[in-house]
Amino acid sequence: MAHTRILIAKTSLDGHWRGVMVVARALRDAGFDVLLGGMLRAGDIAQMAGDEDVQIIGLNVGGRIEVVHRILDTLEEAGLADIPVLAGGTIPPQAIDDLASRGVSVHPPGSPLTEIVDAANRLAGRVG
Amino acid sequence: MGSQRENERDRAWVSASGVELEPVYGPHHVADGQRRAAGSLPGAAPFLRGAYPEMYRSRDWRIFQLSGFGNPSDMNKRIRFLLDAGETGVIVKHDRMTDDHLYDVDHPDIVERREDVGLTGTVTVGLRDYETIMDGIPLASVYVKPGGGVPQSAPYTLACYWSTASRRGIPLEKLSGTGQSDFFLTYIGCPTKEQIPPDAAMRLNLDIIDWCMERMPHWVPVSIAGYNGADSGLNAWQELGAVFANAVEYLEAVSDQVDGQFDNFARMIGGVNFRTSMDLFEDAAKLRTARKMWHDLLTNRYGVTDERSLRLRIHVVTAGSNMAYQEPLNNIVRGTVMALAAALGGTQSLGVSGYDEAMSIPSDHAHLMSIRIQQILQEETNITAVADPLGGSFYVEHLSQELERRALAFMDEIEKQGGFLSVIDSGWLLDQAATGQMEEMAAIESGGKRIVGSNVHLGHEELMPIEGFEGRSGEETWERAMQRLASLRRERHGREAVRRLRELEAACRTTENVIPRVMQAVQADATIGEIGDVFRSAFGVWEVPMRF
Repeated sequence: MAHTRILIAKTSLDGHWRGVMVVARALRDAGFDVLLGGMLRAGDIAQMAGDEDVQIIGLNVGGRIEVVHRILDTLEEAGLADIPVLAGGTIPPQAIDDLASRGVSVHPPGSPLTEIVDAANRLAGRVG
Repeated sequence: MGSQRENERDRAWVSASGVELEPVYGPHHVADGQRRAAGSLPGAAPFLRGAYPEMYRSRDWRIFQLSGFGNPSDMNKRIRFLLDAGETGVIVKHDRMTDDHLYDVDHPDIVERREDVGLTGTVTVGLRDYETIMDGIPLASVYVKPGGGVPQSAPYTLACYWSTASRRGIPLEKLSGTGQSDFFLTYIGCPTKEQIPPDAAMRLNLDIIDWCMERMPHWVPVSIAGYNGADSGLNAWQELGAVFANAVEYLEAVSDQVDGQFDNFARMIGGVNFRTSMDLFEDAAKLRTARKMWHDLLTNRYGVTDERSLRLRIHVVTAGSNMAYQEPLNNIVRGTVMALAAALGGTQSLGVSGYDEAMSIPSDHAHLMSIRIQQILQEETNITAVADPLGGSFYVEHLSQELERRALAFMDEIEKQGGFLSVIDSGWLLDQAATGQMEEMAAIESGGKRIVGSNVHLGHEELMPIEGFEGRSGEETWERAMQRLASLRRERHGREAVRRLRELEAACRTTENVIPRVMQAVQADATIGEIGDVFRSAFGVWEVPMRF
């Protein structure tokens, strides 16, 4: 079976990368094909997701939730709403439900890596 | 997770950086060299025991908190609040999107994320905004870090601050404060979308140092910030080794200078930054060792004799990454322990990360707590009465010598690979940091590293509800910055700005010091993005060697 491809992008222009790196390595070790996208604009994320046959999108949130919503909107407009989205990073507690209500799997700081990997497996339709 | 007792038996007794720990220490654990150093006095070579003879009796450590958000007027209000609360220095934190990247607010990458503007610091479009930030602040008497964490933004930031003072009639030689221009932040901790390459950064830093040496006796031109390596995964001895490898890179760049000038240069780069985290004794030992390593490096390798140069001054920031998301009020205790490590190690200034660090920039309340933690330590605990209170402890002296041994080996390894800039450029140092992070994560997941409320002693999060600090509406902050940018472009003498930018670009392409040119450009109302365009055009953009 082909590896599930996951695109990881930072929503903000803040350069902190330790969360991204740790999650990317954990997903790779769990058998995912990880594309590290970096600081991509919403349009770039949608385009890469479409062109590169991405099955899951992982967003590292380093800024405000509005920017995450813009990315979700852009994916919808591009007809890519069926690609599941995982989000982690500095997400304020009050924003978690908001994202979850749009179907995003939210993993705030302190989430065990096993939980993130399990969520990715579930989203990929693989047995966790 | 098993019971506490079971865990106790499995527990490995090692320091955070992996030094194996005995149940108790005695005289035989301290080598002769360390014993001699421990018998020295604070304020005297090799400075193991402190930078100054009477330490906090003569001067308390400076309470120096990172702060900033929103519009320049918000920053101004926050500075007034912090000074009023008893902070003794001002750090201006800039919006990372615009400042780290040197982008104008109408850059497509900013427009795309306009709600983020002003979230991580205050957003500026040019010199006029600095005048607003500093409105009513007594620049001649306050110690200021105006910003400029990354080398490419430092010339702009410093030029704006210095120009603000000049316009108020304050001579530059009267100003006291510090720059940063840190390689660890830029190339290890937070690599951004577009940064000039490390060798160009070194050139800009040398220009800043040169400028300050000539006219600003009370200014620390650049600050090597090990914090940004440590909070990205380097352990205590890796942080030490990398910091001094960075110092060597500076010293080698000017090794052809005459003795007096060289000593003066060494003093200019002898204000550094370290992280303290939760291993109390190891982190206190690290600061002691740092002073000794600096002294030994300068005397043994470079023959420096000026005592002012041999005395390393230290700023500490407590580990932001140790601030847990779960049960955030526990972080006030963590902040206190990490602050204590800094004080016991003899820091000159200290910033304590906010207890809400894992969810947002600090709220007013978190800011106040960070200041109060330091004030309580200074005013209520009597720890400021005696210098180097841990000196002579068999355990701490052993840790100090062990950290030094490992740090020197790490430094050797870096130098064998061509030096500090080479291991940044090759991605080796990033990889070391990433490996450290993975090990730390694995230890947290396995329960080997315990975090109360996060992986042990769980279940009462609801008793500590904290909302992250929202700051000001990002979109509104962005819109106001767009308006200021438009007015600045409309009102300035366009041709003069263009001329100054051309002169700056010409200076970048030769060996002429760029600082006077940046000063002229910002005074002609050149914008932050225009300065950035000049640097990107002259120096190119670094490709981040990130492997995973």
